[in-house]
Amino acid sequence: MSPCLLQHFEAHRSHALRAPAASRRFPTLRERLRLVGVRAACRVRGTSRPLRKDPPAFPPPPSSRLNLPLLPPPTTALSSPPASCSKKRASHGRGRMSEQVYIVASDSETTGEDKSQLSFPNVAIGIDIGTSNCSVAVWTGHQVELLENTRNQKGMRSYVMFKDDTLSAGVTGGATQEHGHEERDILSGSAIFNMKRLIGRMDTDEVVQASKSLPFLVQTLGIGVRPFIAALVNNMWRYTTPEEVLSIFLLELKTLVEMHLKHPVRNAVLTIPVAFSRFQQTRIERACAMVGLHVLRLMPEPTAVALLYAQQQQQLLHDNMGSGMEKIALIFNMGAGYCDAAVAATAGGVSQIRALSGSTVGGEDILQNVMRHLLPDFDSLYVDQTMDRIKSMGLLRMATQDAIHKLASQQHVEINVDLGAGHKVSKILGRGEFETVNQSIFEKCEGIIKQCLADAKLGPEDINDVILVGGCSRIPKIRSVVLSLCKKEDSYCDMDPLEAAVSGAALEGAIASGVTDPSGCLDLLTIQATPMNLGIHADGGSFVAIIPRNTAVPARRDMLFTTTHDNQTEALIVVNEGEGNQAEENHLLGYFKITGIPAAGKGAVEINVCMDIDAANILRVFAGVVKPHGQAVPPFIEVRMPTLDDGHAWCGQALAKMYGSTLDLTVLPKKLHP
Amino acid sequence: MMICAPVGVSAPKPAAVGYRARKVRCAVAAAPAGIGPATLYDVLGLRAGATLREIKAAYRRLAQERHPDVAGAPAAGDFVTLHDAYATLSDPDRRARYDRDSVVAMARAPPGGPPRWYTARRPRRTWETDQCW
Repeated sequence: MSPCLLQHFEAHRSHALRAPAASRRFPTLRERLRLVGVRAACRVRGTSRPLRKDPPAFPPPPSSRLNLPLLPPPTTALSSPPASCSKKRASHGRGRMSEQVYIVASDSETTGEDKSQLSFPNVAIGIDIGTSNCSVAVWTGHQVELLENTRNQKGMRSYVMFKDDTLSAGVTGGATQEHGHEERDILSGSAIFNMKRLIGRMDTDEVVQASKSLPFLVQTLGIGVRPFIAALVNNMWRYTTPEEVLSIFLLELKTLVEMHLKHPVRNAVLTIPVAFSRFQQTRIERACAMVGLHVLRLMPEPTAVALLYAQQQQQLLHDNMGSGMEKIALIFNMGAGYCDAAVAATAGGVSQIRALSGSTVGGEDILQNVMRHLLPDFDSLYVDQTMDRIKSMGLLRMATQDAIHKLASQQHVEINVDLGAGHKVSKILGRGEFETVNQSIFEKCEGIIKQCLADAKLGPEDINDVILVGGCSRIPKIRSVVLSLCKKEDSYCDMDPLEAAVSGAALEGAIASGVTDPSGCLDLLTIQATPMNLGIHADGGSFVAIIPRNTAVPARRDMLFTTTHDNQTEALIVVNEGEGNQAEENHLLGYFKITGIPAAGKGAVEINVCMDIDAANILRVFAGVVKPHGQAVPPFIEVRMPTLDDGHAWCGQALAKMYGSTLDLTVLPKKLHP
Repeated sequence: MMICAPVGVSAPKPAAVGYRARKVRCAVAAAPAGIGPATLYDVLGLRAGATLREIKAAYRRLAQERHPDVAGAPAAGDFVTLHDAYATLSDPDRRARYDRDSVVAMARAPPGGPPRWYTARRPRRTWETDQCW
């Protein structure tokens, strides 16, 4: 589906979902985005001062020229008909709005002074949206440069603040208002964060369940639909979705980049966790489409790091310091929300991902474990979210966060925090105690690395470099767990753990945009691998993998199936993704039916199911009858996955209930005599 | 290679260098005898005795030409073929099995026998299943 269609679809959807409320008092997404757009536009003017500090890189925009296009009379933007009036007009309206904002980059401003950035107007930017922090980088012609926000931060807090009718994201941190947001404000219930953990998840998901202890509202019904999340605005919970929050954030981010580069940005490469399902990937793509960003590639985070490593190795070779031999790197990335590992074999600028594995453990789990340890009646205390409970939970969260950070460098930390209402935490937390509390998390990390090495069929002695990235790689125990598993003294040190992933994404952005570099810096290739098994439901509820995990992408595999009943004329193809042996343990991607199978005894018909992943990581499933063949057989069906939009859990149950095994298939045993 | 060895022994003089080389070329040319490359080694542009290092190097070199990121989406099929060849030949067990099977196939194929795809692609009969138990 083209971004255009998606936008239109989204317009349609948000209209359908929220029309009654929207027309009365709450702004729709489009209106909100428009507000952000206007604010962003105003901000360009307002923030020209901090930019002036570094004239060589970003000369201050000539304000006389910017004023005109950038300041649409606020009435035009705000008084244009709300989205609910006309879907078509709404989507056009947004296009117009964008133009008003993006006009920052009119051609008349492309003077010679900032050639380095303007020579690549179509180069895709690299974005790393983290659970807790986010950064953006771009290829400037000779190197990757991380962009800073107006507070001179490269890593920006990932959150969106809902206040009255204005929205602001962590990119600017509310810097343009009277006072910036502090951690206290972010934890007040008015801001939504951790959207990367919530996006594309059902309310039965344990990650969503664990998110209920966040200061904003996460409501679940446990039936397998998207959770209800809401932010506190004027003492009222206002509904939103993770996609919406993410798109508001991305819009601010995009505006920031356009301000720096002085040209519109269309394409982006984003990093995602290995554990992201294909459905979650579509949510990220949709959030990007909503702000007019075309996703060129979604890169698993450790593979972005692998690309940066490949470039550094290539550089060493150019400088006659490298050997040119194949080097095997184990990359371990752990942030606030996810943890993943990859084994990459690198030589001559080609980086082949041998194995990938990931899980949803991260710093957030460590934080919650420690909070529960400090305050044993945490769950009973914070079961309902009244204003003072939220405030008190925020205080505990900040104190715990601070303590965990300090424990990275010291052996003991003293925690003294008054939570109000007679609750108080005063404790000295030792590093040993901290490690005991989080034992299960460190074990999971171990499991991920062991699985990754086993899948790559390599032992610790084969690893040349161990690369540790992500915020949690600062925790001494995590470092020692990874290094001891790989039998290494120390980790690879030529990379900034917080900037590696986004730099890799920006490199990929430049390569995928077709930029070439005369010095050979961009002669790089990553051969990606599939992080999860892809297969179908067969043999009465089993999961049959057609493309096993860690298959090189692009990939195309097929398998023969046959009917399970005599005269079975229809078969249901249920496509799943995951690691479980039973189909129901895995993530449902979609389903379709093959009809018109010639009537025959069971096992006589041959049905071919073929899965194809192209270089852009798009999955297509082809299925049809191959034996008997001829005119009497219906044509093959081609389906792009995922097809499912919501309700994965109850959908699978409904299919099982309705059809049971009547439309089942079974694997055709491989013939020994061709 | 096995076919060439006796030829090399019987060749005496400086002229033999050219003779031997020509013979090898013939042996390789005889194997495909049809459309497209016949063996996985041909896919990688290597001789049958290539070392693991040569296989990896050839794979990387060809990947940089044929990967769809470089050559465009229609090249995906090419790359899949290349990668499959590499996946088999870079794994010592699978390579040994492949080498054994292709030697058996070569020995069994009657001169001008079955079409090439038949011998190269289909799973071979194995010694066990050929027996009448």
